[in-house]
Parts: sequence; C-alpha cells; structure tokens
Amino acid sequence: MKHLVNVCWMYHDIMDLYGDKGNIMVLKKRCLDRNIEFHLDTCGIGEQKDLSQYDLIFLGGGADKEQISLIPDLLSRKENIKKAMDEHTFVLLICGGYQLFGQYYIAADGSKIEGLKFYDYYTDTGKEGKRCIGNIILEADLDGLKTKIIGFENHGGQTENVKSPLGKVLKGYGNSFDAGYEGFYDGKILGTYLHGPLLPKNPQVADFVITKAIQKRNPDFSFNDLQPLEDLFEEKARKALLDRFQIK
Amino acid sequence: MKSLSILSTKISAFLLGLVGRGGSLPGSIGLKLDPNILQKLTFDGPVILVTGTNGKTSTANMIADLFDRAGYSVVSNRKGDNLKAGICTALLTNSSLSGKVKANACVLEVDELNIRHILPFIPVRALVVNNFFRDQLDRAREMEQLIDSIEKVLPEYDQELILNGNDPNVIRLALKAPKAHCSYFGIAKNKYSTDQTKEASEGKFCPCCGSKLVYNYYQYSHIGNFYCENCDFKTPVLDVELSDIDLSKENFKLGDMLIHSPYEGMYSMYNCAAVLAVAKHFDVDLKYALEVFAHAPQPKGRNEHFVKEGQECILNLIKNPTGANEVMKVIDKDEQDKVVCIVLNDHEQDGTDVSWIYDTFFEKICKESTKGVVCTGTRAYDMALRIYYENYKGKIEIYNSIDEAIQKCLHSGLKCYAIATYTALLPTRNAIVKEMN
Repeated sequence: MKHLVNVCWMYHDIMDLYGDKGNIMVLKKRCLDRNIEFHLDTCGIGEQKDLSQYDLIFLGGGADKEQISLIPDLLSRKENIKKAMDEHTFVLLICGGYQLFGQYYIAADGSKIEGLKFYDYYTDTGKEGKRCIGNIILEADLDGLKTKIIGFENHGGQTENVKSPLGKVLKGYGNSFDAGYEGFYDGKILGTYLHGPLLPKNPQVADFVITKAIQKRNPDFSFNDLQPLEDLFEEKARKALLDRFQIK
Repeated sequence: MKSLSILSTKISAFLLGLVGRGGSLPGSIGLKLDPNILQKLTFDGPVILVTGTNGKTSTANMIADLFDRAGYSVVSNRKGDNLKAGICTALLTNSSLSGKVKANACVLEVDELNIRHILPFIPVRALVVNNFFRDQLDRAREMEQLIDSIEKVLPEYDQELILNGNDPNVIRLALKAPKAHCSYFGIAKNKYSTDQTKEASEGKFCPCCGSKLVYNYYQYSHIGNFYCENCDFKTPVLDVELSDIDLSKENFKLGDMLIHSPYEGMYSMYNCAAVLAVAKHFDVDLKYALEVFAHAPQPKGRNEHFVKEGQECILNLIKNPTGANEVMKVIDKDEQDKVVCIVLNDHEQDGTDVSWIYDTFFEKICKESTKGVVCTGTRAYDMALRIYYENYKGKIEIYNSIDEAIQKCLHSGLKCYAIATYTALLPTRNAIVKEMN
C-alpha cells in the first residue's frame, strides 16, 4: 500500500528563522524517494484549519518580536492541538515552537509570554542577554533508536524542568547553559533548539519523524519498514563534524 | 595620555605597515593607552558614518570618493576595518599629536554593533543607514537586538539621519531620534518590482504597533514600499528617488538624467541612491557623484571576471541570504552551460552557523544549464546536502582542497561561477588567479 504523510507547517511565514524550511525539504525528499505520498499544507494567523487531520505538525523558530504576534492565534488553537496530539498527530518543534508548548517563556526584553502549557517545562531568559551559541551534538534514544544528533544552537532561552529530554549533550550547551541535556521527547512531540537545519544532517531523526507521522494512519508501521536510502552526503557531513569535535 | 596614545598608534601603524600589516591593531594599542581617545579628537568639516548589513564598504568608499573629488581632504577606513579599533587606526594615524584630525571630511564605515561606541563620541554630522538583513546571526544575535543597540544612542543625536526609505527596519530609527533631521533615499516602482516576496524576509510587522505591514510592492527581500494597516508607519516621501531601473544595462534615472550604475544588481543601486542623498544634503555638486560612479573601482570578488583562452570564471562573495540571493539571480539569468563551485567555510567571520544556506535560493542554480556543482570549504558536505535536497539532477562533487575544486571547474571546458564565503574568498581568488594567469 502507498503511505501518505500529510504535514501542516504552522506560521511558516513568521517562524522561518535559521533555514527551518530545510527540515521540510528533507521530509519531502525522503518520502518521495520511497514512493511515500507527501502533502504539505500551511496554517497562518486566522486560518481555519483542523490540525487533528494532519499526520505531522511542524512549528519552527522566529525572532522574539515576530513570535509574539502569533501567540493569541496559537493559544486559540489549544484545544484543537490537544485533540491532534491525542489522536496521534506527531509534532516537531524547533526553538520558539518548542518553548511555546511549555508553561511560558521570558522574552529578551523581560516580558513573560504564556505558552500552551501542555508540559511542565518553562523558559527563562539568559542572564545579561547571554545566549547558548555554537555547534551541538547529542546522544539520543528515540524509542530504542540510538543516534547522535548534530546541529547548531542559538538561543537565549533557558528551558528548565524538562522531564524527558531528547538527548544527552556531548558537545555544546543544551536546554540551558548547564543543563547537560537537550530538547524534549515523550512519544508525542519532539522539541529541540537544534538548527542547522535539524534534519539534513540527521537522516535517522528525519526517518523517525516520518515513521511517527505514518503511524497516525498505520499504528503497526515501524522504523524498519522504511526502505533504506543511500545517505552518502549525510554520512560524510556527519563524520566531518564528529571528527572535528573528536566524538566517536 | 592623548598624545602618547596617538603617537603609539602612529608608530605601530608605521611598523606594521613595513611588514604589510595594519588594520585594527594600531587602534587597539591607542585605545589601551587612552580608552577615551575618540572624544578627545577635534575635527574640521563633516564626519559621516555609514552602516547597514550589505553594501557598507562600497557605499562608504563612494562617499569618500565623492568628497575627495569635490576637493576635500578625506580620512576614511577604506579597507573595511569597521570595528572601533579599526576606526581608531584610521583617525589616529591621521591626527596631529594634539588630537586634531588632519582632514576636512571623515567618512567612516561602521559595523552595526559598533555604532553605539562611535556615534556618541565624535561630532557626527550624518549617519547613513543602508539596510538591515539577517547577517551572521550567531555574531549579531537577532537583528532586533542589533537595531536596539543603535536606537539606544539616537535620543540625543541632533544631526542628519540619511535612511533607506524602502527598508522598514531602517526608517524605524527615525522614531527614536526626535532631535535629528531625517532624509530618505530609495527606488521608485519599476519593472522588477513584485507584489510578493519569497525571499527570507525581515520586517513583517509594524515596529510602532505590531500590526502586519502591507507592501504595495517589493524591490527585493523586504525592501519596498509599505504601510501599516493600523497606524501611520509607512514608506516616507523620498528625498532622493531613483527610477527607470534597468538591471541588464545597469542604468537608473535620477529625475530625467540617465546614470550608469558602477555595480550590478538592485542592491547596488541603493548604494548609489545613498551617495546621491549624501551629496544632496552636503550640497556637493552632482557632477562629482557622476564622476564617482563612472570611476568606482571594482572590488575583488564582487562579480569579478577572469578570462583566459576562452575559459571564463566569475567570482562572487556570499555572506548572507540576501546578498547570496542577488548572486543567485545573476547566475540564474545566464542561460549558458556552466559549473558552479561553492566554497562554504564556517569560521568566525563567515558565521559559524551555516543554516543560512537554506534561506538562500540555491534552487535558482539547480537547473538544466548547470552541468555540475563542486563543493569545498570547511562545510563542503553541508553545501552538498543543500544542493542534494534541492533535487538537483546533475553531478555533485566534493573536494577537500579549494585549489583542486577550482582546477576541476576550470578544466571542465564550461563557464565557471565560483562563490565563496568571507574567509574563503581570498584562497578561492588565489586558486583562480593561479590557474588563469
């Protein structure tokens, strides 16, 4: 049977900092190369959309000022997003999107922005405007799939009280300066500060996200059901950075 | 300490000059000896600062040339050492020991985040601001914080602001400068103006009230003619407005006068508009501006052409999505078969975060007439992935050495477009010169 991945990219016109569109490009190509149908939709401020109809919701990062403008719209969709998550729509969140699924975040100017409060984590701002910036490498375990995740972090936000982080930091900062762990993953959402963008250099994470999305319609589908791809450039790009930071 | 500071800067600049160096080090020494040296200097004639993301160096150099041709004696940091120390080098090496700058015009290119260290301390008569784009975000943090750092020193500034009226991020500076007088430059609607933009865009919201900004048209990226749907923030009346843009002939009109732009691309025309706005404000005769445009030197690695025995190579610097998109447009326009060599480094000056390559329209070069893409540099594989995920059908090759990559391209028998990030530009240029000489 032919599988389908139906994606909704929320606020794509606002939350598009740091090349996040690369994540969508990767999901699309890795689906199409396997003859999996890929459908991309977007959802902007004020648009009528039932998010529970999608297999995957993607929300990237934006500049503080622009991010604040979408808060009322996002909060108005809280029930609908909850429904989507309950009905196994997988959610991929980068940076600002990640923060907004928690309790609140404090913007660089000190103002407090309420989140969707689906989770207990919350985000303070870095002391004296300090930001966690640089290459970052994690050791992650995604439902038994062990993989190193390579990316670039650039965030002032210090996310605390994270119950189930995405991975252990091998190089870089993580959720906060001294966190030692990065991101959040609980089977329903994957939230992370990693740009780079995240998916081109992390094909296993990309395939994992595709698997989770397919599982919405086909609960028995598993990661190993995905036809393997060559990943020639991916592996070399990964090796270049793992070697640079002497991580085996 | 003032004289000692000036003397030390002069001596170190002289000694470093002997070994072919200079730049910001002499100024750093001067600042060590007297951290307040800038405010102790005295100036004759106008002091003009030029800042913005793209086009600072060529704009500042054209303005320096403008005053030079108009008979002024000009001090300028022409090589683009635009941090505080580099600016001190330029000023102190041209000062008397009593602290008098020996010139009657100063034209200084200033890094955006350094405006706050310069503007309050010397008698600036005009601040010229070209544009604000995402540029090396890991260095400059988000653009918002960058603009904020400039806004903080504007409330007491009471001279001229010369602003790009088509950039909402630039004209918002006027709101924070109640004592200053503002004049605006820009470009009228033309055949390249579009209703929509797909390019990485800043300034989607009104800086006054946060409502959505509506664009009557875009020139490129977020540069265009706009208004807020809620308050009265909008493109101001332009004091210098270019029209009848022709990008293939590189011409524009000022009033009825047809002028040839010294550089390619819409963004270069904005640099010309800035120069004309400065000339207007300081009552410099237009003929000197025309002379500047006619004789502007072509900077290295900015659409620099090399030809040898029928083999053609064009070198371009790329440093952020907006500048890079303009380069993509130039390559896209060329229907000839070609190879493209991309040199992507991730050193400090390139920006250590390479995710910006996904904000750049590399799809424009992933077409039939591009027979091969050769990637090199410290992030060659990231670049290869970017092209690969664009579904590029041709051959993608990777070389560890820039020399090998360039040799490969120049022996392909096809026209070669080489594009390189900041720290890769010189090694790439050297590799081309070695092959083509």
